[in-house]
Amino acid sequence: MAKTYDYLFKLLLIGDSGVGKTCVLFRFSEDAYNTTFISTIGIDFKIRTIELDGKKIKLQIWDTAGQERFRTITTAYYRGAMGIMLVYDITNEKSFENIKNWIRNIEENASADVEKMLLGNKCELEEKRQVSKERGEQLAVEYGIKFIETSAKASIRVEDAFYTLARDIKAKMEKKLEASNPPKGGHQLRSSEPPRRPTNWLSRCTLL
Amino acid sequence: MNKNTSFGGNNSYDLYLQEIEGIDDYFGPTFRAIFDNDEHVEFREKLDKRIKHHDRDIERLCNIYYQGFIDSIRELLEVRSQAKKLNNNVTSLNNQLNTAAQGIIKSGNELIHGRKVQTNISLVIAQLNLWLPVLTTYSKLQKQISEKRYYPALKSLEELEHLHLPHVSNYRFSSQLRESIPMIRESIEQASMSDVKDFLENIRKFSPKIGEVAMKHTREQLAEDPTVVGRKKKRIVPQPSVDSISTFSDDDRSAQELIDFSPIYRSLHISTVLGSRSTFEAYYQAERTKQAKLVLQPPMNMHESEESYRLYIHAVLGFFITEDHVLNTGNGLITRAFLDDMWNTALEKIVSALQTHSAYCTDANLILRIKDLIMLFCMTLRNYGYIIDPLWELLRELKDHYTEVLMQRWVQVFREILSEEDFQPVQIQDQEGFDQILSSYPWDEDLPDNVTFPYSFPFSGMVPRVYQQVKEFIYACLKFSEDLNLSQIEVDEMIRKSINLLLTRTFSGCLSSTFRNPLVGLQETMQIIIDTGHLEASTTYLDQFISNITGEESRAISNSLMPGKTIMFQVAREDAVRQICEKLNQKLDEFLELESYDWLLVEPQGHASSHISDLIAFLKTTFHSFTSLPLEVAQVACKAACEHIAVAMFDLLMSDKNKQISLGALNQISLDLIQCELFAASEPVKGLQEDDLAYFTKLREILDLFTTCDWPTYFHDYGQETSKYKQVKPDDALVLIEKLKEGDKKTMFTVLKKSERDKKKLLETVSKQLKQLSQIPQGK
Repeated sequence: MAKTYDYLFKLLLIGDSGVGKTCVLFRFSEDAYNTTFISTIGIDFKIRTIELDGKKIKLQIWDTAGQERFRTITTAYYRGAMGIMLVYDITNEKSFENIKNWIRNIEENASADVEKMLLGNKCELEEKRQVSKERGEQLAVEYGIKFIETSAKASIRVEDAFYTLARDIKAKMEKKLEASNPPKGGHQLRSSEPPRRPTNWLSRCTLL
Repeated sequence: MNKNTSFGGNNSYDLYLQEIEGIDDYFGPTFRAIFDNDEHVEFREKLDKRIKHHDRDIERLCNIYYQGFIDSIRELLEVRSQAKKLNNNVTSLNNQLNTAAQGIIKSGNELIHGRKVQTNISLVIAQLNLWLPVLTTYSKLQKQISEKRYYPALKSLEELEHLHLPHVSNYRFSSQLRESIPMIRESIEQASMSDVKDFLENIRKFSPKIGEVAMKHTREQLAEDPTVVGRKKKRIVPQPSVDSISTFSDDDRSAQELIDFSPIYRSLHISTVLGSRSTFEAYYQAERTKQAKLVLQPPMNMHESEESYRLYIHAVLGFFITEDHVLNTGNGLITRAFLDDMWNTALEKIVSALQTHSAYCTDANLILRIKDLIMLFCMTLRNYGYIIDPLWELLRELKDHYTEVLMQRWVQVFREILSEEDFQPVQIQDQEGFDQILSSYPWDEDLPDNVTFPYSFPFSGMVPRVYQQVKEFIYACLKFSEDLNLSQIEVDEMIRKSINLLLTRTFSGCLSSTFRNPLVGLQETMQIIIDTGHLEASTTYLDQFISNITGEESRAISNSLMPGKTIMFQVAREDAVRQICEKLNQKLDEFLELESYDWLLVEPQGHASSHISDLIAFLKTTFHSFTSLPLEVAQVACKAACEHIAVAMFDLLMSDKNKQISLGALNQISLDLIQCELFAASEPVKGLQEDDLAYFTKLREILDLFTTCDWPTYFHDYGQETSKYKQVKPDDALVLIEKLKEGDKKTMFTVLKKSERDKKKLLETVSKQLKQLSQIPQGK
């Protein structure tokens, strides 16, 4: 059966409760915005296919609950993630300070080469801003990750953010592929595929 | 002189003389005799002598009489003077008399004149006396005509014609009068007709007013005696207080008193007198029929405002009240049959007009007011003895329409509630809010002794609001049944029916459209399920509520006997449950779409495909997170999810999109299936045993059959209950065999080892066997 996509990237949105993770995701997947605050329970995901350099890329984006009580559930998803969006609210100092904790979480639970990105959301609320753009940039530089200020409500740079992350992951993966095994003509292995176990399943057939 | 006498005989002469003297004029013969005798000379002498004698005689005589003559003259002279004197006297006397008589003559003339005048006057008076009644009657007639009292005028006219005019027939004036009588009569008839026309015009203007007043009276009567609402009518209106009389003197008059019917009576009398009664009746009936047509023509935009309904109804009512009055007092001007006939036609039109127009109406309040109007209309009409059954029917229809409109209104209400809804459990910050929720929603679960804030209810804000709205709806429904003279049972039934419609159709409809909103995700749907669960629990309270209102026994006990009654929120809840399965399946589909099986995989990866492990992890998380979801709902959802996955995986395997398959790929799918089976066995939702989630066995059996190549067992046990592969259909197996053969072709056309050849042969045999089996109908 022909594949409907070339790559599947799993992305994860993390950050404090109420910074707008679900809204960012909703903006990206449905291009819509919901004013009522609905706290995410457990975990949810959306899928959107984008095209980069002629490649169809499916983005499966996991939206985690920011609340502490779902932490055990959500951390389980860190492992499979290829890209993580760290989201804070520029009108909420605390959410920015907590980014450090979230990064620690990533270091503890996610794979080492996961692509990360810092999002300062709600940038349309300039008059309520508590965290300057410079501080965001400063933090991003410290961790060596990219940084974008977005607004899910006003639809500012949300697409940019996801495309940038996807592009970075793609580049990283293609580099890795080239390094490990030369192009095999057509069939593309997915990066998430672990090395095969040399079990001979055929031997299970009693007739053979 | 006579010579005879002197000469010879003197005697002959004397004779002659005598003859001459004796004969006066015949002297001839004498003379002849004288001459014949020749005596003439003697005779002349004799004659002279005679003359001398006579002269002497004369002289003597004169001498004798002279003195007397003088005396006589003297005397005569004397008489002349005396006569003169007398004459003077007489003249003066005459003059005196004349002067004296002149006054008398004048007076006499005057007297005569006066007499004449007197006679004339008395004559005239006599004549005038005869005329007087004519004139008075005539003036009376004129006055009556000018006062429009045509009937007395006619009577006067008759009197004038037959009683008075014959007495004075010989006057020209009288004949003129006589000639003018028919004209007057005609003009009276015309005038009375024009009065009738005016009256008809007036009554057209007035009849809405009449209707209004009549309805007002009916309303007052109803208000005064609420216990007999609509059941019986009291004709006797209790004496209103003096105050109200003075203030509402106009209103206290009965409806028909508002209008002056006298033109009708008068015209009727007149036409009776004039003998044109039947024409008049026909005219009146025709006019009224025409008017009825006009009255019954509803205004174009009647459905837009209550006012136009009111006007229409008042007009119709007024019309028929008037007719009723005319019937009762009109001395047979219209017949009962005519009125009934007209009413029946009218009723049809009224009903259809009201029907048509109220069908357009989308404002519940307006419908309510229209209902009140129609009801009062009915009551009033019944008071006047009209048959109104179709109108009651109409009211019933209107009731359905009203419910329909209410439904539409509540669609809005529910939509609003749902659109404002965040589908989050209600968080209460203080006692006030807590009490508010408890007062608006019957929450019968045990409350903690010490409520600590913020307190969280399990349901979302929608629940109390919807509950309140349902109550509001019940009230709104009731409003229509007010005064409708329905039995308690009918009301009860009506409300329950409407409520069921509202909840099963309207509310569920709103919920369904909510589900279609992409913003409402799995999580929200789950909250909706919880909410509908609570709402369903509140059904008993609603039931009690209805029973309290209608006074009917609660039907809660006889639920089973009343199908439809139990539904209430159940439909919404079922819908929500269905939705959650659908939402979940959508998510699962998204996972399944990520599949990237390599159908020619030589060897399996040794672990499940990532999309399956992600999917299972997601399911686990989901069922783990939504602990608040009612257990049975979670169970249903979980079952649905498992079934969905199983079907999807099986379909994928059988899909004709991939023509070939390798054993390795089958093994990979088997690995994925293990994940699912593990999930199913792990009691993902409390109370779900592995048997409940046996959806994967079909796929498992066919995979096992192929991976272990256990064909002998399959064929041996085929069709038996105890068969290990009883769910494997030959057709399905055949599809897979074909795929395998195709897959083998690709990889093995160069290497023709013996084992491979055997394998190929085996596949051929199996294929043949399967084909045979599939020919035989199943269930042998």
